[in-house]
Amino acid sequence: MEENKRKRRQIFAPRMQKKLVVLFVIVLLAFAGLGARLVFIVTENKNEYQKQVLSQQAYNSVVIPFKRGDIYDANGTIMATSEKVYNLVVDAKVMTNNGKANKGKDNATREDLEKYIAPTMQALDEYFDLDMDKIREHVIKNASKSSWYVVQKRMSYEEVKPFKDAQAENPSIRGIWFEEEYKRLYPNGTMASDILGFTSRDSNGIYGLEEYYNEDLNGINGREYGYLEEDLTLERTLKPAIDGYNIHSTIDMNIQRIVEKHLLAFNEKQKNTVITANGAENVGCVIMDVDSGRVLAMAGYPCFDPNDTWNTDALLGTRMVEMVTNSAGYQELHKTNTYIDQNVIDQMDDAQLELNLQNLWKNFCITGTYEPGSTIKPFTVASALEMGAITKHSTFECKGSLEIGGYTIKCHNRDDGVLGLEAAVAKSCNVAMMKIAQIVGAEDFCEYQQNFNFGLKTNIDLAGEARTVNLIYNADDMGPTDLATNSFGQNFNVSMIQMISGFCSLINGGYYYEPHMVDKITNASGVVIENREPRVLKQTISESTSELIRQYCNAVVEYGTGKTARPVGYRIGGKTGTAETIDENTHKRHPDEYVVSFMGYAPADHPEIAIYVVVDRPNAAKQDDAKFATYLVRDILTEVLPYMNIYPTEEMPVQTEAPKETPQPTQTPVPAL
Amino acid sequence: MSTERINRRKNGEQSKYFFDYSMLLIVLFLLGFGLLMIYSASSYTSFAEHQDAAFYLKKQARNILIGIPVMVMMSIIPYEKYLKFATIGYFLSMAVIPLVKTPLGESSHGATRWIRIPGLGMNVQPAELAKMFMILFLAMLVCKMGKAIRSPKGFLLMLGLPLPVVLEVYLLTNNLSSAIIIMGISVFMVFVASPDYKKFILITLAVVGVAVLMVVLVKTHPELLGFRGDRIKAWLDPESFAGDESYQTLQGLYAIGSGGVWGKGLGQSMQKMSFLPEAQNDMIFSVICEELGLFGGICIILLFVMLLWRMMMTANNAPDLFGAMLVVGVMGHIAIQAILNIAVVTASIPNTGITLPFISYGGSSIVFLMAEIGAVMSVARRAQRKNI
Repeated sequence: MEENKRKRRQIFAPRMQKKLVVLFVIVLLAFAGLGARLVFIVTENKNEYQKQVLSQQAYNSVVIPFKRGDIYDANGTIMATSEKVYNLVVDAKVMTNNGKANKGKDNATREDLEKYIAPTMQALDEYFDLDMDKIREHVIKNASKSSWYVVQKRMSYEEVKPFKDAQAENPSIRGIWFEEEYKRLYPNGTMASDILGFTSRDSNGIYGLEEYYNEDLNGINGREYGYLEEDLTLERTLKPAIDGYNIHSTIDMNIQRIVEKHLLAFNEKQKNTVITANGAENVGCVIMDVDSGRVLAMAGYPCFDPNDTWNTDALLGTRMVEMVTNSAGYQELHKTNTYIDQNVIDQMDDAQLELNLQNLWKNFCITGTYEPGSTIKPFTVASALEMGAITKHSTFECKGSLEIGGYTIKCHNRDDGVLGLEAAVAKSCNVAMMKIAQIVGAEDFCEYQQNFNFGLKTNIDLAGEARTVNLIYNADDMGPTDLATNSFGQNFNVSMIQMISGFCSLINGGYYYEPHMVDKITNASGVVIENREPRVLKQTISESTSELIRQYCNAVVEYGTGKTARPVGYRIGGKTGTAETIDENTHKRHPDEYVVSFMGYAPADHPEIAIYVVVDRPNAAKQDDAKFATYLVRDILTEVLPYMNIYPTEEMPVQTEAPKETPQPTQTPVPAL
Repeated sequence: MSTERINRRKNGEQSKYFFDYSMLLIVLFLLGFGLLMIYSASSYTSFAEHQDAAFYLKKQARNILIGIPVMVMMSIIPYEKYLKFATIGYFLSMAVIPLVKTPLGESSHGATRWIRIPGLGMNVQPAELAKMFMILFLAMLVCKMGKAIRSPKGFLLMLGLPLPVVLEVYLLTNNLSSAIIIMGISVFMVFVASPDYKKFILITLAVVGVAVLMVVLVKTHPELLGFRGDRIKAWLDPESFAGDESYQTLQGLYAIGSGGVWGKGLGQSMQKMSFLPEAQNDMIFSVICEELGLFGGICIILLFVMLLWRMMMTANNAPDLFGAMLVVGVMGHIAIQAILNIAVVTASIPNTGITLPFISYGGSSIVFLMAEIGAVMSVARRAQRKNI
């Protein structure tokens, strides 16, 4: 089209100008209306909207997890520590840019979404072993919702690092977060598991030091959070986490290792001998510093791996337990006659497995109670000496048995004849003990039991110590037969920790130290928070009585029942024990099940450490043989004493005849009843 | 051109020579302010998406740099020369819009509204082109029709000719807002050109009637209107209407409301932190209100009012009808777009994607708007100094 140039131009007529002004006024009115609307929005809703804006800001708080304190042994070796681990989180909303990968207004197409999903998925698939279909489905389904989807938990830094690097390089990898938390780690596996206990995922200690010192070990979570100031400005603050305190145990992992090695060796040797089960129902060993109550080693078998507490393999060979309702209507843990093998595990339901595992996690050394048998005899003698009921010159005649309260109670020794105190202890004469107890009388006997903390808790700093107050007699209901049997360690129950703590006081001059597992507590930067010094609770016996007891106990190893406990080159003292057990089901004395034990100390003249080994119902045709325990003591001490710089005092025998490892039933004395 | 200027000087027209500095100043201020606000509104999300806080700022600056020579050129060319392109432009826009359906069409924001210019690596929104050519075409038409515009036939022709373009924009690019703007510009220009009032009152009543009908329809048969129905619902009751449609509106309102009278301060918007979609684009006015408060918002409105006032003065002093109508068209364009944008942001009308002239991010829009301003300046240069 060609333009038509006119000579006379058309003009913008005044009526049009007028209309333009009208229009301008209309536009002005529209703007005025909008201005009014703005004023209205601001004045009407200012505060409400202000809060709305602030409330959707990220002043949601982020928890910064604390690190649970470490547990060290006496040499500073780590027994338990916490490692930072990473949970892989998929955030569908971020990955798809709020469901609109290209920041669009309308619904994004599937191709749009793939812009970020595809590279992210590819990277995930490359660096992790994940169910990609499940993640993809989740992302597509929740594209516009905020969703925190934890895909994989507790990965180590090494596992996560390659992906993090890839993520930093490729901005298309989106919506993947790593949530940090700590995982409890026990670098020594099953070692010291009974002492340590373990930790649940929410940092709660279960059993052992972990439970007893739970509050010290746990710190306080930090937080990163936003808050509103008075003038409605948003502040963000970081409150760092306070890490938990470290626990420094008295345990020496080297000694612990020696002990556990021999307990395991015992089990290997003895298992499946008579029945298809562990080498014994329980084996326990405690080594304690005689002059401080510091526990140097404490181990039980069977044990478990605190890194993998629900592993049912640990149950293999143990005796199955069940929960029954007793006659009084209470729930009671009851041992069945079934020994667990893989078939049994397969048939057990979850509740049964849990019950059995819970039983396994217990620390036999402090929760297991049993009748101590002859190891109690030094206590009986010491009490009687201390109160003056007998003197060191007293003698007792043994005729093989004694009739008390209508029962004839036999001694395992036939016709010992007249025995002095030393011989009575060395030969472990029951008749002599009964006679001593008769002289002492029920009231004083019970008082002395209390004196040695039997029936009371030792208050060792471990969770789950057995309550034994109902497992001993008190003077009022103690008949003459009870008194007589108590004198040689039957008919009342003790725990290992009670026995060894009392025994230390017998041989160290009478000082009863509170047994303890922890030397000190430090904070994360190493400052000592608490020192736990040895605490003498009481003097149980006098120095002179203690000296006599040492003499008698030395005799036990020198020529008495405990000869086999002696490590080559050393003089030690101690006392054997062989106790009948009560059948779990019939509550009657079992004819051929025994708890054998040896409680000793070394060196003989100036005891430094005490050791107590209990073998509960060894897996053997003839269980009443203290050698199950004495050999363990001998093997353990042979390694532990040199480690502790306690040197041999005796001449090494030149002979090379190896000590007989196998118990020989024909040579062993008749059990202590 | 230069010879013409020399001639004019010789003819003593130099004393009438006028350059509208105040309008240029307002436009430049709006552009500069727009850059500032785009940077403020987009830096957070743009860093998150492009690892570059100034991503949108740079692109917009580039667009303005393209726009400035275009504007200068347009203002230098005597506007009579535009007449040549009036009819061509009309058919050109009708021809270009369907290209979005060809492989040249470029998608973004979930809609295909752009055309890729091969070789330049740039995208152009044909709807923006259509707006400019429609102004030119109608200005030419008004001159051509003269008094015929008073007849019903002439009136219908004036409003009927833009319809094909409007329908193309609406149907092919699915861009209701641009269609409304083009139609609005047409009505705006015809209103000025035609001496009639009654017809326009009737049109206004009809539009209001349709709007009421839509609202009623949405309330009774919500499924009929699709996503636009959802937007109307979201507008009627943004706080209880859960979903993406009301989300943007509500977040915009939160931004304005939380800004208060004086605002939170430049750069202090919280809503731009990925809560407010399209913060640098359609919703930039709410970020302005949040950061600079009611004060800042009203100032922007006043700037637009001043700009429109300058244009009205230019039109009223234009040497001829064509020049005046050209200015009226541009004035209508800017007025309608600014009013609709602020109305959307303040939830005065249902949500529809309209940018705020000169300030919002958007390449085609900025370049064509600056071209239109250049045209207005070209008219202004020749204005007779009657009332200026």
